[in-house]
Amino acid sequence: MNAASDALIRLEGVTKTFGSTTALKGASLQVSRGEIVVLLGLSGSGKSTLLRHLDGLELPTAGSVEVLGQQVPALKGRALRNLRSRVGFIFQQFELVPSLTVLENVLTGSLSGVRGPRLGLWGYSKAAKLTALEHLDRVGLLDRAYQRSDTLSGGQQQRVAIARALMQKPDILLADEPVASLDPESSDQVMALIREIAADEGLTVVCSLHQVDLAISWADRIVGLRHGEIVLDMPTTDLTKAEVMEIYGRVATTTAEIAAVTMELAEAASQVAAS
Amino acid sequence: MTVVRPSTGSGTQGAGSGTHSGGPGALGGVAARAPRRPLSPERIAASLTLLALLVVGILAVNEVGISIPAMVQSWGNAENFMARVGGLSFPEPGDLAWLIALTVGLVLVGTLLAAVLSVPIAYLAASNTTPGNGWRAAARFIGVLTRALPDVVLAMAFVLMFSLGTLPGILAIGIHSIGMISKMFADAIEQIDEGPRLAIRAAGGSKMQEFTSGILPQVLPSWVATVLHRNDINLRGSVVLGYVGVAGLGLEMSYAFKALNYGKGLGIALVIFVLCIVMEIVSSMVRGAMLGQQKQTRSWMDRIVHPRLRGRSAEPTTTRPTWAASPATAVRRPWTVQRVQHAIAGIVAVLIVVGSVVVSQINWLDFFTFWGKLPEVAAKFWPPSFGSYDATVMFEAMRDTVAIALAATVLTLLPSVILGSLAASNVAPSSGARGVARFLLVGIRGIPELILAIVLVVVTGLGPQAGVIALAIGGIGLLGKLIADSFEEVDRGPERALRAVGATRLQTYTSATVPQGMQALIGHSFYMLDTNIRAATILGIVGGGGVGYYLLNASQGSRYETVTAIVLMILATVLVVEGLAMWMRKVFR
Repeated sequence: MNAASDALIRLEGVTKTFGSTTALKGASLQVSRGEIVVLLGLSGSGKSTLLRHLDGLELPTAGSVEVLGQQVPALKGRALRNLRSRVGFIFQQFELVPSLTVLENVLTGSLSGVRGPRLGLWGYSKAAKLTALEHLDRVGLLDRAYQRSDTLSGGQQQRVAIARALMQKPDILLADEPVASLDPESSDQVMALIREIAADEGLTVVCSLHQVDLAISWADRIVGLRHGEIVLDMPTTDLTKAEVMEIYGRVATTTAEIAAVTMELAEAASQVAAS
Repeated sequence: MTVVRPSTGSGTQGAGSGTHSGGPGALGGVAARAPRRPLSPERIAASLTLLALLVVGILAVNEVGISIPAMVQSWGNAENFMARVGGLSFPEPGDLAWLIALTVGLVLVGTLLAAVLSVPIAYLAASNTTPGNGWRAAARFIGVLTRALPDVVLAMAFVLMFSLGTLPGILAIGIHSIGMISKMFADAIEQIDEGPRLAIRAAGGSKMQEFTSGILPQVLPSWVATVLHRNDINLRGSVVLGYVGVAGLGLEMSYAFKALNYGKGLGIALVIFVLCIVMEIVSSMVRGAMLGQQKQTRSWMDRIVHPRLRGRSAEPTTTRPTWAASPATAVRRPWTVQRVQHAIAGIVAVLIVVGSVVVSQINWLDFFTFWGKLPEVAAKFWPPSFGSYDATVMFEAMRDTVAIALAATVLTLLPSVILGSLAASNVAPSSGARGVARFLLVGIRGIPELILAIVLVVVTGLGPQAGVIALAIGGIGLLGKLIADSFEEVDRGPERALRAVGATRLQTYTSATVPQGMQALIGHSFYMLDTNIRAATILGIVGGGGVGYYLLNASQGSRYETVTAIVLMILATVLVVEGLAMWMRKVFR
């Protein structure tokens, strides 16, 4: 596959500073159609910032961000909203509107396709409602359609958020630590669901995670970030946890980080030994 | 698996504790090594200002000359007066019903008008939605300005522009209420969870859609609560509007008193009192029902509005309902008990609003003729001048008004802290005590200050005492509730910790509850002072002393330029207090 010609996402030397802190330092990355990529890194390593650039929620201080063949920083108004509608975004905290019903929350995913505000369920067409209900059925929550979204558990809320993203009929799905706020069982469900949907719809997925195990078993390719720099970029086939940790180990500089990495390495070694 | 994740920056700083500045001090005692308590000049200035205000307030109480013996003595007046009244009398039942409907209707329409006008102002004023700092400053200025202009003064002006009736009252309420409503609407917007809004933006929603789908659903319960709360205040305030010619119960009452028909006047006052209590109960029930559905954080000002929140847990669904068999069958929303309840509540709300517009008998034609009269009337109000009054007399009167407000605030403080503490669930010794305290607060809040003042004027005679006592009593209802709610909101952890080390209930209260609630307490007290200054103006109208008396005289004598001058004077005073309050809140944060 020729990655360069088929890249849906193309970052070239992206740098982002917030005041005096640098969140991204010359990050370059290409993601091809249908790839499932995990951004791996400790908190504060720039994963979220990178993801938010892809949806135009942040503008780069320097460098170029090209998504779906368009320069994101150059987009404004209608054009920007059109791009965003083709990129689904899943948040760590789900970000559903708590006081709205589950169905209305899913329907908000279709807002970019309609003009003007929508108040209540009757603001949406019957066809839209049917589509939303189908997505809800798909994530297994059809019977919760008319419940307030804040009455659902965390895992259920994240599944509603996935249905909302599907409502956009996206080409790309971005997920920012989608399971960091969930218990292990719900985590597995949600991650499996994202993979399954990505395969069915042929979605390109970029997902940030901090769990090395999960990343290796789930993704096609891992991109490691540290202090805003991309320090690792390789397919997960024949990549072991120990190898990933080693790469982290080579780049760890501060005492605390080295300690953390050493611990991780020891843990990984014991797991490798056990299996 | 456990992942140790140090935040990236902290690692380099290490343990950090080795950087003591007092190297040689290591030989001295702990006291010598301990750092000096830092004193910020601004904090000192603010504390001194606070102290000065308190002292002036106490002096003002002294000056007003409230003495218990004098009051006991004047109780004789009250008995004489009551004998002269010879029993209460009421208007005909039909008339009475009509007057009640009219009063409630016009207050509701006025409040709703303010609510509608407040939405764009709040949007511009909230830090997270405003398009720019210029817009924000302008919106805040409109809020402060409308809040500072007493509704009575607005009503006086509108009575000149429109034919008598309800419209001047509606507009006066509608404009004056923008101040408080837009402030609280904006506070609610600033407190939303930004996440859902971000999610809608990420899905390609427009600014407008972000507002209607991401913000509005989050703020709606709090907004409705604000409007209901303001409606209660406006109903109490509508009494005084009657004194300047706005139709309704207030006007009937003022006619009765002017005709020396005290029995009827007091009868109507009683009706208004009962009406206010009923409204307070109804609106707190509605607020409770609405807010109970949603957990949310609350601002210091919101506390007036929100009753305690009760979480509602989701009903566990075990079997799949029949409507959820497939997406196609689920398109029709099932009529659950809850949905029926919501629908009925919605229909009732719409009927009440429509009914209010109908009974207010708004003379829509006035909206067309009004523009013609506007320049002429506006010209009358300009330029401001004290006219026949001496400027020193005016400043003296303004000083009296401020003194009344300060004295009332000082007098309110102690009973409010006591009642408010007892009404807080984490302080009250028993739920019974809490219930009694809460009940007292609601009861006190229900009494329109004006009616209290009229009764007190009768008891103590004309003068500032009546005003001070009326405001002080009325203030307990508001300040006590605010204090109770902010005490209930303090972090319970320190209280538990103190109880665990064996502190008594009172020790826990003074060392854990009060320190945490102190900043809120100061904020609320300034809000009280602010409210009292405006209220003191209005009380002057019924003989409570101060600048209000001159204001009413000037308006009844059609000396409009004097009205403008007095209003500007009040405005300046209120703005000074507002600025002081903002500063205090900033310093004692």
